[in-house]
Amino acid sequence: MEDAAEERQIQVRFVTKLPSELHVATTPFSLPAHLTRYGLSEVINALLGLDKPQPFDFLVDDELLRTSLEQLLLTNKLSAESILNVEYAYAVGPPKREKSREHKDWVSAATGSHARYIATGSYDTSIRIWGADGSVVQSLEGHGDAISSLEASRPTGDEMWVLISGSKDHTVRRWELSLTSSQEAVNTAVTLERPVKVLKGHTSAVQCVASNGSGTAVCSGSWDCSIKLWNISEDENGESLTVRSKKRKLDASAEAQELEVGTSITLEGHTQCVSAVSWGQRDSIVSASWDQSIRSWDVETNINTETLIGPKALHCLSVGGDNMALFAAGGADPILRIWDPRMPGTNTPIFQLSSHKAWITACKWHRHSRRHILSASHDGSVKLWDLRSKIPLQTIDAHKGKVLCADWWNGDSIVSGGTDNFLQVFSNLQLS
Amino acid sequence: MGTSDKKRRQTPDGSKRAVNVGAATGTNGTASLLDTARTVDLSTCSDSDDGDWQNTSSDSDDEYSSASFDDDESSGDEGEGTTEINEAILDYMGALEKEREDEERGDSLTGGGEESRSPRAVVESDSSEDEVPSRNTIGNVPLEWYKDENHIGYDLSGTKISRREKKDQLDSFLARSDNSKDWRKVYDEYNDEEVELTKEEIDMIKRIRDGRVPHAEVNPYEPYVDWFNWEDKGHPLSSAPEPKRRFIPSKWEAKKVVKLVRAIRNGWIKLDKPKEKPKYYLMWGDDLKTAEKTANGLAYIPAPRPKLPGHEESYNPPVEYIPTQEEVNSYALMYEEDRPKFIPKGFSSLRQVPAYSDFIKERFERCLDLYLCPRSRKKRINIDPESLVPKLPKPKDLQPFPTTCYLEFLGHAGPVCSIAVDPSGMWLASGSSDKTVRLWEVQTARCCRVWSMTGPVRHIAWNPRAGLGILAIALQQEILLLDAELGSNTEEVSQLLNINVSSATEHTGDGLLVNWLRHEKLQALQIKHSQEVVSVTWHHKGDYFTSVAPDDILGAVLVHQLSKQQTQNPFRKLQGRVVSVLFHPVRPFLFVATKMHVRVYNLAKQQLSKKLMTGLHEITSMAVHPKGDNMIIGSREGKLCWFDMDLSTKPYKTLKNHHEDIQAVAFHVTYPLFASCADDSTAHVFHGMVYNDLLQNPLIVPLKILHGHQKIDGQGILDCHFHSKQPWLFTAGADSIIKLFCN
Repeated sequence: MEDAAEERQIQVRFVTKLPSELHVATTPFSLPAHLTRYGLSEVINALLGLDKPQPFDFLVDDELLRTSLEQLLLTNKLSAESILNVEYAYAVGPPKREKSREHKDWVSAATGSHARYIATGSYDTSIRIWGADGSVVQSLEGHGDAISSLEASRPTGDEMWVLISGSKDHTVRRWELSLTSSQEAVNTAVTLERPVKVLKGHTSAVQCVASNGSGTAVCSGSWDCSIKLWNISEDENGESLTVRSKKRKLDASAEAQELEVGTSITLEGHTQCVSAVSWGQRDSIVSASWDQSIRSWDVETNINTETLIGPKALHCLSVGGDNMALFAAGGADPILRIWDPRMPGTNTPIFQLSSHKAWITACKWHRHSRRHILSASHDGSVKLWDLRSKIPLQTIDAHKGKVLCADWWNGDSIVSGGTDNFLQVFSNLQLS
Repeated sequence: MGTSDKKRRQTPDGSKRAVNVGAATGTNGTASLLDTARTVDLSTCSDSDDGDWQNTSSDSDDEYSSASFDDDESSGDEGEGTTEINEAILDYMGALEKEREDEERGDSLTGGGEESRSPRAVVESDSSEDEVPSRNTIGNVPLEWYKDENHIGYDLSGTKISRREKKDQLDSFLARSDNSKDWRKVYDEYNDEEVELTKEEIDMIKRIRDGRVPHAEVNPYEPYVDWFNWEDKGHPLSSAPEPKRRFIPSKWEAKKVVKLVRAIRNGWIKLDKPKEKPKYYLMWGDDLKTAEKTANGLAYIPAPRPKLPGHEESYNPPVEYIPTQEEVNSYALMYEEDRPKFIPKGFSSLRQVPAYSDFIKERFERCLDLYLCPRSRKKRINIDPESLVPKLPKPKDLQPFPTTCYLEFLGHAGPVCSIAVDPSGMWLASGSSDKTVRLWEVQTARCCRVWSMTGPVRHIAWNPRAGLGILAIALQQEILLLDAELGSNTEEVSQLLNINVSSATEHTGDGLLVNWLRHEKLQALQIKHSQEVVSVTWHHKGDYFTSVAPDDILGAVLVHQLSKQQTQNPFRKLQGRVVSVLFHPVRPFLFVATKMHVRVYNLAKQQLSKKLMTGLHEITSMAVHPKGDNMIIGSREGKLCWFDMDLSTKPYKTLKNHHEDIQAVAFHVTYPLFASCADDSTAHVFHGMVYNDLLQNPLIVPLKILHGHQKIDGQGILDCHFHSKQPWLFTAGADSIIKLFCN
């Protein structure tokens, strides 16, 4: 019987979207049915005759191959006689662990929206800007309590970079940084523009912040169960034209150069702590809460347009994927769930990715790829998921304690911060 | 009368005897006849006595009380009986007389009447008619009674029979010598007459003396007459030799057989077909066939069948059944009762199988079993056991409830005595016996603040007002009101926690109850008690709070007001040692748990409203349902009582769920959940649904047992609290760890 199984052959035709030098003949090959990804990768390597063996990943009907070919045929109920079209692509190899960046306290927030800098928020109330070489470029002080969330605008040009931070001292701050990447100053070129805008209005700790791409509109969710939408617009003179502005005395000292800004709009609807907000497609924001719901809000009309009820309290939310329409959220259980709000009348997630062992604290869609998502958990690991497979592409044991935050950086790197006071950077992830 | 009849019937018996004797003794049988008459009398008397005795005995058997009456009757009977006897004797004597007259007449009439008389005597000996009645009628009385009288008795008509004139000796001698026949004369004293024996009578006497048959005509050697009819008797009576034909085969039978054989051969006779056996039959069918009833009407219970032999009992079992030598040796080390009874052994042929040594013993024991074991039919109740279990919903359908431990709050160095969850659900405060109070962030299990105390913390409670962030801590002899610096309205908090001068002076005047002081180091308000404070609980509005100091006899329960900084002692004296105090969540009631009872006081009317009879030995903790009508009480023996206070003052349900002391019980504020934790280091989570419909009883379903804590010094989980908004349970263990169990 075993001999018979071994002798069983499957007709396989390899296709690829890789450059033409990596193409193999389109004639079908007869391959043993027990081959797995590793065996097929060896076959491709042998066919291409590569000097340096390269791992490949294989897709059948847009599903990553994670079992043997025979089992795949059985589960998908495919005929063994017909020719199987197998697409191959570069496999995502294990990432390279870069130099870890030490903090004084737990790293609670990290953002990697800038290509050269990483911003982290910590429980020691300071925000740090890290350069690519692993040194602190700038440290931003001012919050009275731990930073809970950090959001950075996409840099417009090279000169302006806006950071929004939420803190447990009930405030949101908006930091404007000017990046002068001039030739004479290679290393430190991040300077803080004064005054810092302090957005006060929450009555409890701010748990999450989000901004539109330019950083002109900011929203924040808090433990007081509300979402506040801050409208920040500046005129040419740098004068604040917000709805309600209190200007403090401008002292000579830098700390005093703070501008208090009142709230513009409060979105009420959640019954518990708003744990995550995300700026979705242009005029909407999406929020997740401990009351197990995901709500979409229209920014223009300030109404709750859509509500999804999940099974558990939610801690993190990310909007992305296909057409920036999928909601990925993790919460008080080890399962990362992905909802498609376009499917009407259902609260069941379209994907349930379970591999973690503890609460999920962060999840982020890749900024460009529509199928890759990362998740961080209290079990100390960061996982990289491809929606075409139920098994994570990579599991990175990032931290000794809990992982509190994680983000993509530069498209091929992951940054994560945890309770071991380190910011870890994992690079060289080649996502196809 | 039956008895007299009986006697009458018996008299002829006696007379018959008399005749026989008379016949035997001949003429001098008169005296003997008299004797027999006497014996008859005696026998009848004794007979009557017997009968009477039997009667009385039977009577006494029947009715014992009337024994004396029976005695009287029997005496009357006796009197009657004697007259009867006399009559019988008279009859008898008359008959005797008559016979003798007949005899004399016969003698006189016919000389050769002997031939005719003797057979008559033989034939008619049964009849009493031939008895010769005597002349005298005095009966069987001693004759000396008449010795001095002139008469010897009375005749049948009752006239006196006068004594004959007695001859003197000489005359009689002369008469004798004169009469040659005088020697034949015999004097009958009874009748006072001379009886002359006849010649035949003398011959009879002679023959008797010679030892011959008395009657001359009787021939003892008569020729044998074979009266038996030998014909038509079913058995051989002849001793004739067996005839020859008995030994030769019967010719007739041979002819008959030949005929039958020919008929069978020619098919004239069809023999019956052999009965077909059923092809399939129940092999052990007769085993199941049991008579429904035995002869005595009892149900027949067949004896249990012994086990059928298996393969190992075969004379040549397969090799795998035969134990190896090591196994056999190991049997010797086993206990007698564990040792196998039979060790399989193989033989090449059945002939070589020896006698089974235990055969007799086993048979005997089997017989003993069958004989000594009472066999009875078990009455089986045909109830599905599942139907007896109350229909409870499955825990799966009652989600969410805490199941898995996802977070551990590490940091304490001693047993965590008390925990409290902030009303917003963001913070957790814990007090430990390592003299610290810690503030934890729930989401990340980060210890945000640590306050060092002067002693081990007994109890801790958040002010229920949202955004205030005031923590009440019970330690040693004081209560600390601490600002956890979480709230937004810091001014109000600082104002509340600053010492109010007027109230302070007022209370220093009062003096004895408590002291409100300012704790400068911790920026807290300090309320000094005289005895150790074990617990502190807040009113739901956040202004009033109570402290429990069980050792203080006069002020065990104190109610404090935060805004006015005042203290009241609502109970001058409480019965029993106070364990715990709770405010009603909605109405102005106060629950006071003492060792065995829970009293409900109406604070508005200031009177006792209810007393809950728990039936527990020692209450350790209690919790009130957020609607206020139900409460749970945990006890030291591991029992949990649910009280429906609308229903009764007795427990609605008592659950014995823990092996050891329950340390804390808790209700969830929004979800229908409650939990108990105990020293067996488990926490039990229940579904406790209270319906708005008053007719529907609360539904209690055990959901989950949460393990994970370790037992330290006999203490397991010391406190448990539900998260204020999520279906999560915090448990504080003696192993200095706080765990968060999530759904």
